[in-house]
Amino acid sequence: MILVPITYKGGIYRHSEIIDLIEDLGGYIVQKHMIAQEVVLQCFVPKDDVELIRAIGKPLAGEVTDSPLVGTEIAIVSMSLEIHHLPHPSCDIAEYVRRLGAKSNMVGMARGVGKRIAGINDEERDVINEHDIAVYLLGNFEHCIEHKMPVLLRGIDVPVVLCGGPDKEVLERIVEPKVDGYVGNVGRFMHRTKESEELTKLDEIIGEITRVLSKRREELAKDPLSVSPARLMDVIREKVPAILDVTSPTPLTVQMSGLRVKLPFDTYAEVLRKTEIEDGIKIGDIADIEPSRMRDYILVKVRPFSETNIVI
Amino acid sequence: MQAIDYFEVECPEKRGGEYYRQIANDVLLDHNLLRVIQKIHIYIDPKVPIFVAVGVLKKVTSVVKVGDIANINPQEGKLTLAISDETWLAPMLKIFWDRFGKDHVDQPDRFTVILYGVKAEVREIEEIVIADPSQALKKDLVYALRCICPEGFRVRSENYSADKFSFVASEDLLTDAGLALVREKFALMGVTP
Repeated sequence: MILVPITYKGGIYRHSEIIDLIEDLGGYIVQKHMIAQEVVLQCFVPKDDVELIRAIGKPLAGEVTDSPLVGTEIAIVSMSLEIHHLPHPSCDIAEYVRRLGAKSNMVGMARGVGKRIAGINDEERDVINEHDIAVYLLGNFEHCIEHKMPVLLRGIDVPVVLCGGPDKEVLERIVEPKVDGYVGNVGRFMHRTKESEELTKLDEIIGEITRVLSKRREELAKDPLSVSPARLMDVIREKVPAILDVTSPTPLTVQMSGLRVKLPFDTYAEVLRKTEIEDGIKIGDIADIEPSRMRDYILVKVRPFSETNIVI
Repeated sequence: MQAIDYFEVECPEKRGGEYYRQIANDVLLDHNLLRVIQKIHIYIDPKVPIFVAVGVLKKVTSVVKVGDIANINPQEGKLTLAISDETWLAPMLKIFWDRFGKDHVDQPDRFTVILYGVKAEVREIEEIVIADPSQALKKDLVYALRCICPEGFRVRSENYSADKFSFVASEDLLTDAGLALVREKFALMGVTP
């Protein structure tokens, strides 16, 4: 069964029927937002049943759209958290990817600014590496970008999409080591993105992120995960009731090959390891449970089939 | 930028210069500084690296007095002030409280202030200085230039006088050659520093 990421937007009236339908079809709801009279469900559903959900949702004013970024956690890496880079463009981009279903986290560097003085520390590096993809937002000068990128990419092993002021071709030429995606003409600016050409640029960033993530998905498909992170999320929600008391907007954040569990590591790591998924297989058998560098959260990394010989 | 006589951004990287022109425009507009700046020249060279901004200021509006924002009606034993501009109401009340005491100052509604038993002429009250907007404008200008300047350029030399300003910033120590750029850029605008 191939699961595809979609977003369902509809009225609050009888929306529980849609939730039941998705769950009955074997799909998973990754995030549920209730905004006034509207409900937004970001979910994974079987590819063949998308039309069925669309048809059943239609009388309830429901709308089903493809959301390629659902189930991904994206790091928006800003060179600092000063007025020079915030709220535009960092927040504009973070918000835009969020609308398309991704969970975006803003990573503000302590010493990311400047040319010679730019640097990355171990905490920033580890936090970025916990995500599925990192989007680097750089400045306007190609000379600076060329000079600082080797330093800022040191130790980063997740795919990177780089946004900067110079043209895309220039970025591709000057950036060493090469990264996975480039978006030109999006450097530092001090106004809100509202003109149509600026929105087109945001779409271009989304396009580039989607392209890089699709490539990553293809790689993962060659050696499938022992369990789908969305399913693991459901299991934890059912069997570790403490997660229901977490007030964070996404207590369980689904990633492409794992899960961020927002519970304290020391208390709950062992509980998670011993939680049974099915037929006596425990989470600890098919996933690595590690402490996250983000607060004291837990990072669950699902191991591939080639390592565990198990697929659930 | 119709309010500014001269506005140039000079940069060896053409595209980078265009972006910085936009940034400078946005920041000055956001802080309402276009009415204060007469000329501005910005020079950025990321290779050195150095950022220079020099400019000429317009004569900033004079101080705000009570007479500018209120009409005073003398009545028996009291003075009624009809407020026309609320912007400076808070500092005005503060001055009245300090000078006459809270017992003598009453504000029955947003646009009325009544002074009871105050032994002062109407003319005298009208001349009381409430605020000096140029002070706030100077603060805004300092903040705006730091916003425009690339964030990593933290070694700065800033000079603000009544009618001119210069701002030099770099990542490295500022050299004499860097500081000499101020004179050079002022000359481009036809101004002697």
